[in-house]
Amino acid sequence: MEKKSLWKKITASREASLVIVLIVMLIVISIFSPSFLSPTNLGQIFRNNTLTMLMALGMLCVMLTAGIDISITSTLAFAGMGIGLLQKYDVIHNTLLLFIIGALIGLACGFLNGLIIAKGKIAPIICTMGFMYIWRGMAYVISNNNWASGQDVSGFSDFGKDGSPGPYIILVIAYVVFFIVMKWTKFGRSIYAVGSNPEAAQISGIKVDRVMIAVYTIMGLLSGLAGVLSVSIYASAQPNMQYGKEMDVIAACVIGGVSMSGGRGSVVGTFLGALIISIIAKALPLVGIDAIAQNLIKGVIIVFVVILNVITQRTMDRQNLLRREM
Amino acid sequence: MKKKVISVLLCVAMATGILAGCAAVPTATAPAADAAPAEEAAADEAAPAAEGAGTFAIVTKSAGNPFMDRLGTGFEEVIKAAGGEVVRKDPESATADAQIAVIQSLISQGVDTIAISANDANALISVCNEARDAGIKVLTLDSDVDPSARALFCNQAGVEAVGQQLIDAVYDLTGGEGQYAILSATSQATNQNAWIDAMKAISEGDDKYSKIELVEVAYGDDEPQKSTDQTQALLQNYPDLKVICAPTTVGIAAAAKVLQDQKSSVKLTGLGLPSEMAEYIGDDDAHSCPYMFLWNPIDLGRLAGYASLALYNGEITGAVGDTFEAATLESSPYTVVDNGAGTEVILGPPFKFDPSNIDEWKEVY
Amino acid sequence: MAGKSGRTIAATPQTGLKQKLLSLEGALVIIFILINVFGRVLSPNYNLSNVMRESPRYLAEIFMLFGMGFILVLGDIDISVGSIVCLSATIGCLTSNAGLPMGLAILITLLTGLCCGMINGFIATRFTELPTMIVTLGTQIIFRGIAEVSLGSGGSASLKDYEGIGILRAKVGPIPLAFFLIIICAVIFVIVLSRTTFGRHLYAIGSSKTAAQYAGVEVQKIRFFCFTLIGFLAGICGLFILASTYGANTTTGQGFEMEVIAMCVFGGIATTGGKGNLVGAFIASLVIVCLRIALGQINMNTQLILVIIGAMLIISVLVPSFRQRFLTLKKK
Repeated sequence: MEKKSLWKKITASREASLVIVLIVMLIVISIFSPSFLSPTNLGQIFRNNTLTMLMALGMLCVMLTAGIDISITSTLAFAGMGIGLLQKYDVIHNTLLLFIIGALIGLACGFLNGLIIAKGKIAPIICTMGFMYIWRGMAYVISNNNWASGQDVSGFSDFGKDGSPGPYIILVIAYVVFFIVMKWTKFGRSIYAVGSNPEAAQISGIKVDRVMIAVYTIMGLLSGLAGVLSVSIYASAQPNMQYGKEMDVIAACVIGGVSMSGGRGSVVGTFLGALIISIIAKALPLVGIDAIAQNLIKGVIIVFVVILNVITQRTMDRQNLLRREM
Repeated sequence: MKKKVISVLLCVAMATGILAGCAAVPTATAPAADAAPAEEAAADEAAPAAEGAGTFAIVTKSAGNPFMDRLGTGFEEVIKAAGGEVVRKDPESATADAQIAVIQSLISQGVDTIAISANDANALISVCNEARDAGIKVLTLDSDVDPSARALFCNQAGVEAVGQQLIDAVYDLTGGEGQYAILSATSQATNQNAWIDAMKAISEGDDKYSKIELVEVAYGDDEPQKSTDQTQALLQNYPDLKVICAPTTVGIAAAAKVLQDQKSSVKLTGLGLPSEMAEYIGDDDAHSCPYMFLWNPIDLGRLAGYASLALYNGEITGAVGDTFEAATLESSPYTVVDNGAGTEVILGPPFKFDPSNIDEWKEVY
Repeated sequence: MAGKSGRTIAATPQTGLKQKLLSLEGALVIIFILINVFGRVLSPNYNLSNVMRESPRYLAEIFMLFGMGFILVLGDIDISVGSIVCLSATIGCLTSNAGLPMGLAILITLLTGLCCGMINGFIATRFTELPTMIVTLGTQIIFRGIAEVSLGSGGSASLKDYEGIGILRAKVGPIPLAFFLIIICAVIFVIVLSRTTFGRHLYAIGSSKTAAQYAGVEVQKIRFFCFTLIGFLAGICGLFILASTYGANTTTGQGFEMEVIAMCVFGGIATTGGKGNLVGAFIASLVIVCLRIALGQINMNTQLILVIIGAMLIISVLVPSFRQRFLTLKKK
């Protein structure tokens, strides 16, 4: 009992350190740009970064099993381009149906990832790197050098329009569902178990392969959904959309305290990590930093926060040791 | 020991390649190389159709971009009509590096001309020179390389003309005074930088524009998300902003969406694809973009096609004063002019898209 | 025999592993021959002089292959190399344009790469809890960011004196100088990895850092050295890129990291560490280069080429994995 509460304290204080980083960032930004904390602006932070925040949840599951998925934005582009073209060529215009189709495309891509990784016993980074090339290439091929533009997706894009609650609702639902699943269900616990010690999990009756497949399928599903949302929010589908953004998602998770070697991480941490990445993206143009220096500052902040994470972890570990000795 | 076996095997494999290669000395490049210096000999070959046999390549900036696709369409149409063979190549990513690989491959294939829309003005110099050394005529369209490395640039519109149109549009939409901002592509985009510089120069040089103030040049990197962030930042940082000018197709569409969704009073103009922008063009307050400009990418492709044929046939060398026929284009014949740094042909002034003609053009490109 | 290197330390039984590696290299050589024949048949222009003329852009990348091989064997990864290439080429170009003699500019280019590698190595060894993927993800953004800032608003710099660097473009017959350098590097790095104590230590660390530590291997020093090494090699790559493009821009080297990692994996080096060798990786890199050149010459859609490479990558790791399982089943 005591051990558990101790573990809880550790996670709690990890997240507390993130909250402190967040608050410091907000204060600094507000000094340069007083309107940053206005409701409209805060709304825009979530809306513009719905994709990162959504995919970070899937990445959390994947990373909990000590895996990684770098094919997510390619899946996103493939699904997004797919549903964009369905509208461009006037096949389907029903928003709900398009969401289902996009999600299913993502689901299928993710399932394939999971199958190969779990059954083929292949390093996740390699398998997903292969699919990163494949789905991105396929997105280009099916696009046939065309974009689905504002008018093609009008009506559908109302869902993600500035001021429409659509993206927020999806985000809130996703985070609540994941919070519950990861914390209080058997499935959630089995993901943690597989990540901390696959052999032990296997012995204790968890079907490791199935958990792995499920995790990548969830990741694919969320990427597919993100693809649909991207088309809806930006009212345009292009084969190169969100190129390279998988690294933002991974960074968001790591900043949020998710361990890449598996077994450690939480939905709340992931949320805070994604929020920090989103705030950086939103704040850099606002605080008046020269456009060409923005990437540099972003990189420095990421490295800084990640190292800060390590240092807090170390101090916490040391304190715990001390406490135990006493 | 096994390792030695492997290295022997490897050597054998290499030798196979070498033998296979040396069996056939590149014959395809030979005729092109001969044709290169023969400027005067080609005078009697006036009709492109008579020539026929050449292979003409076009290298775009990136795959998956409708504007680039239409350049290829126009180019292909002209060359096919003249009986030539067309090679259309999109680099795997929108970088100069990927274009170098593509152009190298074209040199190997021994094509006769290469028309390039360059991702970087400097990085392609050496590969272009290599192509010219191999007897290939190099020209550029849409986005130029350093003039020393190509024969001719097919310019969609004079830099000055674009700058003038854009600054006049800003002047008009602000009502003669107020703040405006520019949302560009990447900070190294050659075309956008040239147009922005031209806008700045014009507004500084004329008192008429003294009351309009450029507050910021933001870069959206031609990504919808970053362009959206940048547009919102502009609106937030400059509450008195009246106009945003986005001389890039991705940026203008992203900005249009932001302004229209927020029902902002800020107006938008710039350069955009009609098919992308049809949703946002309109005179009333419900639409964010009253009018914008662009040229016809299909026509630009056609112009490059005619220029390629003329270079190949030796009708022109790319020197100032050369003229060539472009049968399917209105302003034919075209004359090569000097733009200060090198030689170019200009397609024509930018075309204005407004509510009256947008429905007609959105189907075209 | 070939298996006498430190690979014995890897978890798999020696004989099985030896067979597997040998057959992998054999298969790669066969694929290499097939691709050359295939290129020759499909494209009339696929010959030595053309392949060699198209190769420098890819050869520059192969320099990093050796360093990446070391890093992957260690069980680490470095995804910042593309950015290091960009930064070193940028700094080299700018220093040369500032009037420094070419020799000095070349030295500075290499030193820039070396320093970037040292920074990676420092963070990776000082904060061992951090996965190197994250460390190098951060520095990837930072290094390119520094290059962007140094290049200024144009985002592109052109070498004023490109005669001086011309020596790097020299050719012996149709074969570029870089090719010979690559061969020399290949020989050195293959020997270091497979025949020296240092190489054995790399495998030991890749198999188990803790075990290696207890066995007296200076794990962190070696990791630091390897990161510095790949930084230096990325500097060499940057130098050759500078020589072939007469300049640098903000997209120089973009995506190189993934291409180099793909070559290593295709050549049998596992990203989990402790497995694979450079002979396989080197042949694999030649296979990929020849494939790209051949498919380029028959004007295949460039995006389809990427799809093919992606599929090849997955198949190349799936086949040995299933073969291994098939063999163990048979033994039972």
